[in-house]
Amino acid sequence: MINQYSGIAPKGDLQLIHNLCKKLKGKSFLHVNSTREGGGVAEILNRMIPLLQDLGIDARWEVIEGDARFFDFTKKTHNALQGNQEKFTKKMWDYYYEVNKRNKNNIDLKADAVLIHDPQPAPLIDFRPRSGKSIWMWRCHIDISNPMPGCWANLKKYVIKYDTAIFSVAKFAKSLPIDEYIVTPSIDPLSDKNRELTDYEINEVAERFKIPRDKPIILQVSRFDRFKDPIGVINAYKIVKNYNDCRLILVGSSATDDPEGEAMLNEVKDYAAGDPDIIILLLPPDYHMEINAIQRMSDIILQKSIKEGFGLTVSEAMWKEKPVIGGAVGGIPLQIVHGLTGFVVYSVEGAAYRIRQYLNDPEMAIKMGRTGKEYVRNNFLLTRQIRDYLSLWYINSNRGKHVIEL
Amino acid sequence: MAKSLKSFEFKQCVSIVKSTGKQAKNLRELRKLIAVVGDESIFHHTHQYFLKGHMLDYTNDFSQWAGENLEERALAERLTSIDPYTLKSVKAVRKELIREIDAFLKAFPEPRDITEGHEFYFNETVSLVFPVGVKTKNLAEFLVALEHIDTGCIYYHFYDSRVRLGEGVVDDFSRWIEHTLFKKNLADKIRAIDPFMHSIESIRNHIKEVVEEYVRADMEGVMS
Repeated sequence: MINQYSGIAPKGDLQLIHNLCKKLKGKSFLHVNSTREGGGVAEILNRMIPLLQDLGIDARWEVIEGDARFFDFTKKTHNALQGNQEKFTKKMWDYYYEVNKRNKNNIDLKADAVLIHDPQPAPLIDFRPRSGKSIWMWRCHIDISNPMPGCWANLKKYVIKYDTAIFSVAKFAKSLPIDEYIVTPSIDPLSDKNRELTDYEINEVAERFKIPRDKPIILQVSRFDRFKDPIGVINAYKIVKNYNDCRLILVGSSATDDPEGEAMLNEVKDYAAGDPDIIILLLPPDYHMEINAIQRMSDIILQKSIKEGFGLTVSEAMWKEKPVIGGAVGGIPLQIVHGLTGFVVYSVEGAAYRIRQYLNDPEMAIKMGRTGKEYVRNNFLLTRQIRDYLSLWYINSNRGKHVIEL
Repeated sequence: MAKSLKSFEFKQCVSIVKSTGKQAKNLRELRKLIAVVGDESIFHHTHQYFLKGHMLDYTNDFSQWAGENLEERALAERLTSIDPYTLKSVKAVRKELIREIDAFLKAFPEPRDITEGHEFYFNETVSLVFPVGVKTKNLAEFLVALEHIDTGCIYYHFYDSRVRLGEGVVDDFSRWIEHTLFKKNLADKIRAIDPFMHSIESIRNHIKEVVEEYVRADMEGVMS
């Protein structure tokens, strides 16, 4: 299975995955999270677990179960860890622990390496089997650079019991008494969202969604959320329109759990009203191939966020060799090396200026697009993330060394 | 029967980033932490900068932060010119960094704080070194391999070797070419490529050029 990535992912990453799997052959690797479907974590695990099994690792993926009360609480912790102020009671934290305790009866926690994803199953560390030399790692996928202190303090009690904590970006890491590693998120180049498409597939999507291709297309793909600044994107497009004819497409998926999304969508529609060159599309969340096609038919792709987690849509666009423009927030500057793999901007005017630059210098746009794809190939593909998880497992078995020869 | 030559085995280095949990929000804090963090952290932010692609106007993470985040271009320029591969040790690099920052702080004693989220985060790495399954016995094979190996491989043999071998001046490629293939002239040409002035891709191209030129000249030579 891993051979599917030959010629796509860096050879060294595939080689290291092979070498590590040889060393770890027959050993067990348990992943635990809180959902089987939806979200980036499930997407990666769906792909990664069969790959590891195919390479001789006894990989398992378990999902903790909880009721509405549990998930309401974990949603609140999610928001509070990202900086929102929420109200918590001791009873809530006790229930959180209780649900995890119940889950330990249904999940076999015996494994050589255990990777617990996000805060929901974090208390499982208290039920770590005493026997054996298992390695327990806690993987935080969210931005906890500025958490609500009380919430973090409660979660930290569990985190520090792990052998290792893993964060997506260095600035999300905390000062902890355990080892902390940085593993950036990734995209799967073979998924429907990112795989190569035929011209036929792209044209079919253009026809289905009535997207004319008579002028350059500027695109932003993201939820209709204030932090993604769709109004700012329209304003940037309006400035550009004074100089260059172009079309703007805003694509978002319908998030049923986001009541603010609909209000924002209506605001965006009102703001764009009367301009036939602005196309707003609301697509179902599983329209991955369609989004892929729209990205591929676009000329410039924006992610003009004013607050962002990692912003993997940037890597998705770069993988398609598109010139990108992104807000200087979250993980976007890690993906866009300003002036080389794209442009990082701080304002509507800045975004407009960079769009004009791309439109007026297509050769530069092509060059940046190509450089961007190579940058993603070397840094943000799924195989690199699998490589990193296996490396961390191996590093934990060789603690204290800064250079490990395989 | 001719004695078989020792082949060159290509290896690669992959570095997994480890956070130290330490961060600086202004130049004074940066200076204070540069003085106390482990050698591995200084090594990562200076020597290993080249592994990241060397794509910016800087040569280490400290100069990049000074230029891009603190917007202190003059300081960034001075920090950029610290060449970790010419200096003999991490200790010497640390000393140079501190000397430059101290000189700057003497002239501008009240550095401003950076905006939240743009602090300097001190990291270090754990490196995994592994053979990539490519061995070459002669220059023709070496050229083909050089074309296809990852940049992490070139980093390991061209940059990391200078620290690993403890001599501070030699890369693995030229050592093999001199000591196994006995081609000192070619080895010297590879050694003349300045690691500080190029990206890894450009190092790849330069080595290819000099080896190709050597092989061509060798083939065009008249047999006596």
